[in-house]
This record gives sequence, C-alpha cells and structure tokens, in this order.
Amino acid sequence: MDTRAPFQHSGKNIAQLMQTLLLALLPGICASLWFFGYGILLNILIAGFFALAAETTMLRLRGKNIALHLADRSALVCAALFAIGIPPGAPWWLVALGIIFAIVVAKHLYGGLGQNPFNPAMCGYAMLLLAFPLQMTSWHLPNEVVEGALSVDSLGIPIAGAEQEILSPLSWRGFKQALLLSFPFAASSDFDMKAFTDGLAMATPLIEFKMAGHSALLAARDSGASLFSRESETAWEVINIGYLFGGLLLLYKRIISWHIPVAIIATVLVVSALFYAPGSVSIYGTPYLHLFGSATMIGAFFIATDPVSAATTRPGKIVYGIIIGLSIYSIRVWGSYLDSIAFAVLFGNFCAPALDQFCRPRIFGQGLSRANNESTKP
Amino acid sequence: MLGVGTSLSTRRTAGGIKPPTYKEHSLRSRIMPMPIPPQLKIPVGATKSGTITLCIAAGDHVHKYQKLAQLQMSAQGRSCIPVHAPTSGIVSAIEEAYVADHSQQKQVCIVLTTDGLDTSLPLEPAVDYRQLASEELVTAIRRAGIVGMGGAGFPAADKIDSAAHQAVDLLIINAAECEPYISADEALIRERAEGVVTGAAILQRASSARRCVIAIESSKPDAIQALEQAIEAQTNIAENCELILVASKYPAGSEKQLIQSVAGIEIPSGQLPARHGVLVHNAGTSYAAFQAVAQGKPCISRITTLSGQALKTPKNFEALIGCSVEFLFDICGIDKSLRAKTVLGGSLMGLQLPSDNAAVSKTTNCLIAAGSAELAPPAETQACIRCGFCADACPVRLLPQQLLAFSKTENNSQLLEHGLMDCIECGACDYVCPSHIPLVSIYQDSKAAIEAGRTNHERSEAWQQRFQYHQYRIKKEKDQAPTRTKAAPANKPAAESGESGESVSSNGDGQEFFSKEKASREIAAAVARVKARRAESKSVASEQDKPK
Repeated sequence: MDTRAPFQHSGKNIAQLMQTLLLALLPGICASLWFFGYGILLNILIAGFFALAAETTMLRLRGKNIALHLADRSALVCAALFAIGIPPGAPWWLVALGIIFAIVVAKHLYGGLGQNPFNPAMCGYAMLLLAFPLQMTSWHLPNEVVEGALSVDSLGIPIAGAEQEILSPLSWRGFKQALLLSFPFAASSDFDMKAFTDGLAMATPLIEFKMAGHSALLAARDSGASLFSRESETAWEVINIGYLFGGLLLLYKRIISWHIPVAIIATVLVVSALFYAPGSVSIYGTPYLHLFGSATMIGAFFIATDPVSAATTRPGKIVYGIIIGLSIYSIRVWGSYLDSIAFAVLFGNFCAPALDQFCRPRIFGQGLSRANNESTKP
Repeated sequence: MLGVGTSLSTRRTAGGIKPPTYKEHSLRSRIMPMPIPPQLKIPVGATKSGTITLCIAAGDHVHKYQKLAQLQMSAQGRSCIPVHAPTSGIVSAIEEAYVADHSQQKQVCIVLTTDGLDTSLPLEPAVDYRQLASEELVTAIRRAGIVGMGGAGFPAADKIDSAAHQAVDLLIINAAECEPYISADEALIRERAEGVVTGAAILQRASSARRCVIAIESSKPDAIQALEQAIEAQTNIAENCELILVASKYPAGSEKQLIQSVAGIEIPSGQLPARHGVLVHNAGTSYAAFQAVAQGKPCISRITTLSGQALKTPKNFEALIGCSVEFLFDICGIDKSLRAKTVLGGSLMGLQLPSDNAAVSKTTNCLIAAGSAELAPPAETQACIRCGFCADACPVRLLPQQLLAFSKTENNSQLLEHGLMDCIECGACDYVCPSHIPLVSIYQDSKAAIEAGRTNHERSEAWQQRFQYHQYRIKKEKDQAPTRTKAAPANKPAAESGESGESVSSNGDGQEFFSKEKASREIAAAVARVKARRAESKSVASEQDKPK
C-alpha cells in the first residue's frame, strides 16, 4: 500500500487526539476536585482501571493487536468522560459496572473503536441511571461533608470547638472519607462509615430550586465572597466554566469543529430564554443557569462531539446539535431526569445516520443552479 | 506590496491543507543546464495510445532539434505529438522502455548515443508572434511537440483547438504549483519570467482569449516580483495580462479549484472548463510555447526538480528529454544508501518509481530521492473514527469518511451518490487522517471496480439484447400471420385502427425488421388478447355461478 500516493502525512494520530482531549478535561476536573474532593479522582481512577482491563480482555477475545489498540487511549477517554458524570462517593462497583458495560457492550460488541453507533460512556451512564437511580443522584455537598465529618473524630467522639473549624475536602480526612465511600469494605469499624455517611448530605446538584434560583457566582460576587469558596455554592458554575475552557482548547487545537457545541449551546440558550418564567419556582430557570448550572458544557464540548457516534457532515452536525440541545432542555424540564445530557446525546446518536444521509454538503461542481451557470457566462 | 496589475484572490475554495513544502532545498541554486549524457532514451509514446511514425532508422546520425518521430493519437484525428532530438548523435536502437511518467507502461523510445558535439539544425527563424494568426500559432505549437508540462501531458495545441469553438474569455496560466517538493515552475519564473509572460501572450493570441491571468501562490515572493517586472517591461502585454495571487494551500493549483479562486466560476462536474470560456495552461507550457514561437525551438528539454534527503545538492535542472533518472541523481550527488524510495512528481500525488533507469519525459516535473525518515511508509492503519478531518480537507467537499464506509461494503450506488467520481485524488484526506487510512488508494480501487462493473454491465446488456432479438425472431418465424388475424377481431375498434396505422408505417419503412415501438405494440396486442380471453371466461364462470 505504501507504494501509492500520497507519501506525505501530517503526522497526526488518534493517540494524540485522545491525549489532547484528556488534557482539555483537566480544568473541569480540577474544579470538581476543588469543590467535591477526592471522590471524582477516585471515580476516574477506578473507571480508568476497569476500562483498560475490559478493553484488554475484549481485544484479546477478538484476536486484535492489544498493544496497538490500547495505545490509542480511546478507552481512557471513555473512562474519563464516564467518570466525571458519576457522583463522587459512589461505591466502586457502581463505577466498575458502568464502565465495563460501556466498553464491553456499547463499544466492543458493536465492533470496537469507530463502529459503535452510540456513545459508550453515555450508554454506561444511562444504564446506571436507570438501574441505580438513588446512587446515581446522590451527590454530597462539600460543606456539609466537612462539617459533618469534623464533628466527630475517628472514634466518633465529638471534637471540641470543631464547629468553627472548616476543613477542605482536599484534606487528609477528606481523602479518607472519599476512599471509604468508594470502597466501603475498607472501613475498619462501623464508626467510620456511620461518621462519614451521616455527614453526607444526599442531594443532587440539579435540584429544582437551583434551576429556578439566581446565579451563585453573581450572588457570591455581590456578597463579596470568594468565587471559589465552597460555601458560596458556586461549584457547578465554576466547574462548567472549567469545561468551557477545555472545550475552547479543543476548538483551538481543531480536535473538534465548532458546529456541534455552538448548535447545542445556542439551542439551549434560545429555548430556555423562550420558556423563561421569572419569579416562578419551577425549573424554567434562567438561560444562564441552564447553560452553567448543570452539565451542559461537558455535554456540548466533550460528550456530543464524540465523532464516532455523532453526525459527521457539517450541516448534519448543526442539526445534530439542535436535536441534542432541544432534548437537553426538554428532558430536563418536562422529563423526569435532570441530568439529561446522557439521554439527549443517545437520542442524537439515533438520528446521526439519517442526518449523515440527508444533510450533505453540496459537492463541488454538482447541483449548480441555472443562475450560477449563467453567471459564469461573460 | 502588490505591483500594478497584481491582485490578491479573496475567493475561498473549499478544503485544502498546508503541508510543509520543502521547496526551499531545490530553490537554493539556480536552474542548472545539463551536461550531455552519453545516452538518451527519448520517449515517443505507448503503442497502445496511437500510431507511431518514425522519421529516422537505427544507425542514422541526427542533429539537435531534428524531428525523430511522431505519435498520432488514435482518438483524435488532428492530434499528433512530434519528438525532436535533444542533442546530436547516432540512433542506436528503437526499443520499448519505462518512462518517468504516470502511465506506468512501457513506451517506444528512441535510443540516442550522443556524440557530445551538440551540432544543431538551423532553428526556424524567430518571428514576431503578433504578426501571426491564431491558427499559425497553434500549428507552431503543435510542430514543437508541446504537451501539458504540469503533468497531464495532453497536447497543448489540441487543448487550444478544443476551446476554439467556444469563445474563450479567460486564459489562466497556472503557476500555482501547490504540491510539496515541486519547484520547477517557481524556478523557471524566478529566472525566466519574460519568457513565461511572452508565452502567456502567445497562448492568449493562439486561443483568442479576451483576458489572460497568471495565477501564482502568494507564498512565492521572488517569482511574483519577477512576474511583475516582466509584465511591466512588456507594456503591450500588460494591458490585458494580470497577475492574481491565490491562497497558498494544497491543492490550489488543481485546475477547477484554481478557476474558482481566480474567476469565481465553479465548473460543473464532468464538464471541461473550455465550455465555460476558460482555458488553463501550465507555466511550463507557456514557456515552451515562447521557445517554440519566439525562438523557433522545439520542446527538447524541461525544468525538472530534483529533491530529497538522499541528494547532496537538490536543485532544478534543465533536463534533456530522454536522459535517465539515474544520470540526474548522480549529478546531484545521490547517496544511495540513504535513499528509501524514489518518487516521481510531488509527495502527495506522485508515483513511486521502481527503478532509476526510467527516462525523463516531457511531463517529468519532479524526482524525489527520499531518505528513510522522509515520506516514510505510513504507520499502521487504525479504524476510522469519523473525525471528519478528511471532509474538512477535501477541496471537492466530498465526505471521505462516508465514502470509506461505502467502499468497504462495496455499496456502489451510495458511492456514486456521494460523488466518488468527483474525487480528484489529491490526497489531502490521506494527509490529515489520524488513523492513517490509505483513502485515495481505496477510492482508486473502488473507481476501478465500478468502471469494470459498468463495462461488464454494458457488455451483458448488449448480449441480452442480441439474445432477446434472436428469440423474438424465432418466435416471429414460428407464429406469423395466423395469430394476428385471430387476434384482430378480439380487439376493440380503437386498437384496430391503431394497428392499421402501424402497419402502414412499417410498410413505409420497408427494410425495418425490429423496432422497439413495434415490439411494444405487439405486446400490447397480446395483453389485450389475454384480457379479452379472461373477461370471456369470467363472464362464462359468472353465468355458471348464477344458476346455483
């Protein structure tokens, strides 16, 4: 084959693309780490481990070159995208189950890299959301974690004056707590578990009032609080801004094209502005909160742009983005899942093959209108 | 700074890539005239492509510029390409040999053992081209044996002729030279811009084009400056010859893409630019036309780029037609231990040469002796992840990722629907593919398979028609008039009158023994008969039913 042109190559390869994608996830992951503690990191590590294990096993079963295909890092990207959606503090088996489903069923059973019609990470996520709704919506609010944990020492005895002390979830104690939540079997005594789990507030970041409320970032600025302080509840907005930066990096590096993210963001913006009901306590929140109050940015830049399962033509990508944007808002507002990204993207995946067939760019020199032809005459 | 009459094209063309061009290596030195090699193998043409008429025989002594042979192309009556002796010597043999061009088949070559004296025939007197009519210019160009020097190799005179019936509005001299490594046109323009500009004027006069534009990539300042000066110096040309700079991207120099960026005209798929009043000639062709008309020299040499890491001194040569690739490489100081492959043409559309013995032809624009790190064999192919980089790079706005999927499943109807046949095989999609999929090779194979399928289909269709006619004739012989006379009363009067009308016309035709209309009418009659019979049996059946 190498005796035929072209002989020159740009030197780009899949591993580089995937590596840049992982790099672009860092700002958002760092923000999550800051606000939610080590749980997110543990989730990524657990998912990464099981993703590689599942990928290796499947490649072996399919008789593929393991070293070559593992080197493309696509399994790690899938693991990272999957894990950032899993609540910190989820037990290890939940993470493992989801990622194994993603790699084995959603990816390899359909023919491996490039062949999966649905986004594997979102397949794993959706499966967990349907099967384990409680675990999948239990996010702990960082403040209460820390305060709850502080009120008792490792033996469960309240510490004097602990109420004033505020520790970061990034402290050693926070790490221990995250570890115990992920690996409950490692707890040395009932005290440990009780102390930590009692201290956890079971809450989703997408609780309805959040959507109806005001920007926590603006509130924090007005009250003079630090935007990065954990009390001011700016977590989701800051995290989304982190992913937005990562997404802009992907655009700058030309890993993704602008069509899908812009279409999604514009659609969510327009639809949420149309339905916005000021003063209402329902979830017809402000467009700003619909964009930054949940996982819209991750979805728009990282999840929906997965090239394998997305529409591949430029006009198709725009329609694909609009479909996903509408689905995000619709499922969030009228459906029963506030974390609507996964279902919205999967729905987009359903539409992608038809979009590729019907939304094609005009081929050079084809389908020229008569007007165009006449204009060519001197 | 743009000079007078120079403008920058602002029209965007689809896709394109910006690979490193490595042209600077071969542009470091000036064009080198070539020492006379001991032997030349002057290609005349493949026996398949036409009739070869030899003007000499083995053993003859020939002079420089002497006409040796000509190839009469079989397809078109008028097109013939003469070849001339690049230097003096003795014709030692006439044999078939490989030539450094894209045909990849053996061609008839005249082997000339040079004598080193370089004695030449007197040149035809140089004439002022402005005194000549366009037909005379075309004849001069044809007699000089000029073909498309950009690589196409189509006889230049024929290209002008083919446009002669249309009113040519615009002549574009293609000096874009967008493909990496190739710097022959750029070197030519840097040093001999007046010749190129005069050649452009000659081609313009020959094709009676109203306007003439020289198109060049904006990334070639030296050549642009040289052209500006040359255009300015020739005031009578400057009136209607202008310089347009096109965006420096590959493939800006592809004919239809260039027309779009220069004139804003999108040539419809499958049509020739001449139909839309545009004619494109390469800068090298333009210079050859200048030599032929203004200097009376036939085409015996061309500018060829020699480049690649295995060469000590990459440079451009004024290569004599017929010299061997090896001879040129040797002058450039080739280190054969460093060379991994030899490529004819650029790095993106070139052809790997199996050996150095091939002779330089009129279309040999570039020879690359690639080092092992250069133009390396592709990394292992991985699965397509549909990233769409290829679609962004495609100058024809195809969807290579979709074409790949359809190629794999041999879904020919979808391949055609998705414009496979519009692929210009520029290799931009391959270049950007992160999975290192040899897309162009796959498309070439698919195209070949579709073509083969088409000819098969046509052949089987022809046989089917013959067979059907055969059956029809047998049947006709078997049941001639009787069935007809029987059928006639069963038909309705309207059908009858129709049939009588038909019989008159067929009588009028006399010799006609098979026509579609006749057959279809006969079929209609047969259907009517069957219907009538059915209706009869039905009415009988219903009558039988009623009593019950």
